[in-house]
Amino acid sequence: MHFDFLNGASKMSLPANLKYTKDHEWITTGGGDAKIGVTAYAVEQLGDIVHIELPEVGKSYAAGDSFGTIESTKTVSDLYMPVACKVTEVNKAITKKPESLQADAYDGGWLIKVQMTNPGDVGGLLSADAYQKFISEQ
Amino acid sequence: MEPQDKKTSNKSTALHDLHVKAKARMVPFGGWSMPVSYEGTLAEHRTVREQCGLFDVSHMGEIEVKGPEATAFLQHMTINDIAKLKDGQGQYTAMLKPDGGMIDDLIIYRITDSAYFLCVNASNSEKDFAWLVDNRGKFNVTITNESNQWSQLAIQGPNSKAALGHLLGPADRARFDRQEYMTMSAVRLFGRACWIARTGYTGEHGYELYMPNEIAVNCWVALLETTHTTGIKPIGLAARDTLRLEACYLLYGNDMDDTVSPLEAGIGWAVKLTKEGFIGKSALLTQKENGLKRKIQAFRMTGDGIPRQGMPCLSTDGRVIGKVTSGSVLPTVGGAGGMALIDAGFREGEEFLVDVRGKTKSAKIAKRPLYSAKVK
Repeated sequence: MHFDFLNGASKMSLPANLKYTKDHEWITTGGGDAKIGVTAYAVEQLGDIVHIELPEVGKSYAAGDSFGTIESTKTVSDLYMPVACKVTEVNKAITKKPESLQADAYDGGWLIKVQMTNPGDVGGLLSADAYQKFISEQ
Repeated sequence: MEPQDKKTSNKSTALHDLHVKAKARMVPFGGWSMPVSYEGTLAEHRTVREQCGLFDVSHMGEIEVKGPEATAFLQHMTINDIAKLKDGQGQYTAMLKPDGGMIDDLIIYRITDSAYFLCVNASNSEKDFAWLVDNRGKFNVTITNESNQWSQLAIQGPNSKAALGHLLGPADRARFDRQEYMTMSAVRLFGRACWIARTGYTGEHGYELYMPNEIAVNCWVALLETTHTTGIKPIGLAARDTLRLEACYLLYGNDMDDTVSPLEAGIGWAVKLTKEGFIGKSALLTQKENGLKRKIQAFRMTGDGIPRQGMPCLSTDGRVIGKVTSGSVLPTVGGAGGMALIDAGFREGEEFLVDVRGKTKSAKIAKRPLYSAKVK
């Protein structure tokens, strides 16, 4: 996601087992299909989430492609793929109740499951510490 | 001169430091650094509908027009008929270019028959002032841009009367308790002369308080101190926008500009074509005679998708019919919707489509306003 209004990082603990992007997406690394979501920090910056638009199952993307949008009362932000992949599942619970993302951005708040084209790609993403450092400099 | 926000070079209101201390998200708006939200837009919206909200609207402009020919001059400059006003009464109106496009919409308050107080949009205040001065001609009037001296607070919601009433002395309070919609009265607060107008931009019972900059902090703090009984909380510009949109109040720069006439904007009720010549009148007469080609309509989405300013509107068979001028989720009304400038042929209840970033989503023309105002 891209923000034009980020103003300082808040103190939130980041799950250490995830990898992060500078566009504020996270991705799981445990093998099998990976889950992708957006960080609690990004959700906090967006404010009230009112709509999430996600892709159809089966679509393929390159790293950096926009795969959907997340919309708050005032802003629409694009969601960007952390890695090249194919979508295998979409979290319908979150599109039905987008505001629930504000309470739970990591566990129940996953957006899509994907099959990575090259599982090694996650190695190039940010660790929790590196992402924390990145947002604290915003 | 107002202080400048160091980071953004925008002007700051007298309450800027209080907003920052309250952790408001500050954004540039109309040349000013303004609070866009405090605790979250939806919660703030609900506070105003159910209890009471306090808005810093000091960015709004204030212009005084005085002199023996003030009435005749403003009749010439505006679309509504100020001859109908009594002392203390206000009126919604607009100034037009000769071609009928809107310079600004504004409220004119009559102080006396030779003194009027104009409340204009923040981003237009200098343009409006210049327009008034340029058209003064032989009228015997003095026009003063007082925008830099006044702070303005809006107190809006069912508990607004209790909150603002709490600040007033007994004599002011008695008059305030009887004050009618669209009137203004002079009061004293913290030893200074202020104006209270029973007006607003939310669709709720409410007030707009004009005070000298020096006592803005005192007023803000004193109003918030009533929160235990009134539930009053500070509200940002984002909720101000969703509130006004539900009530279908127009926003200059979104819903109209100098290419849109008041007839197209749907404020024909404020146009008095029987009045002696005013700037833009002949263009409006021609427009009326030829019939309107486009008009601002309220609408609601019938499925998913959130409309935003500038999104194209299409007929169900795919013809472009106009564009969204203001769009958002509608927190009290439910769903999403807004206002659109579209072909005048479309009527209430008719279906059309909004192009939401390349995907067409269904919408329906709705009765205006989307939320019935409780201002009276």
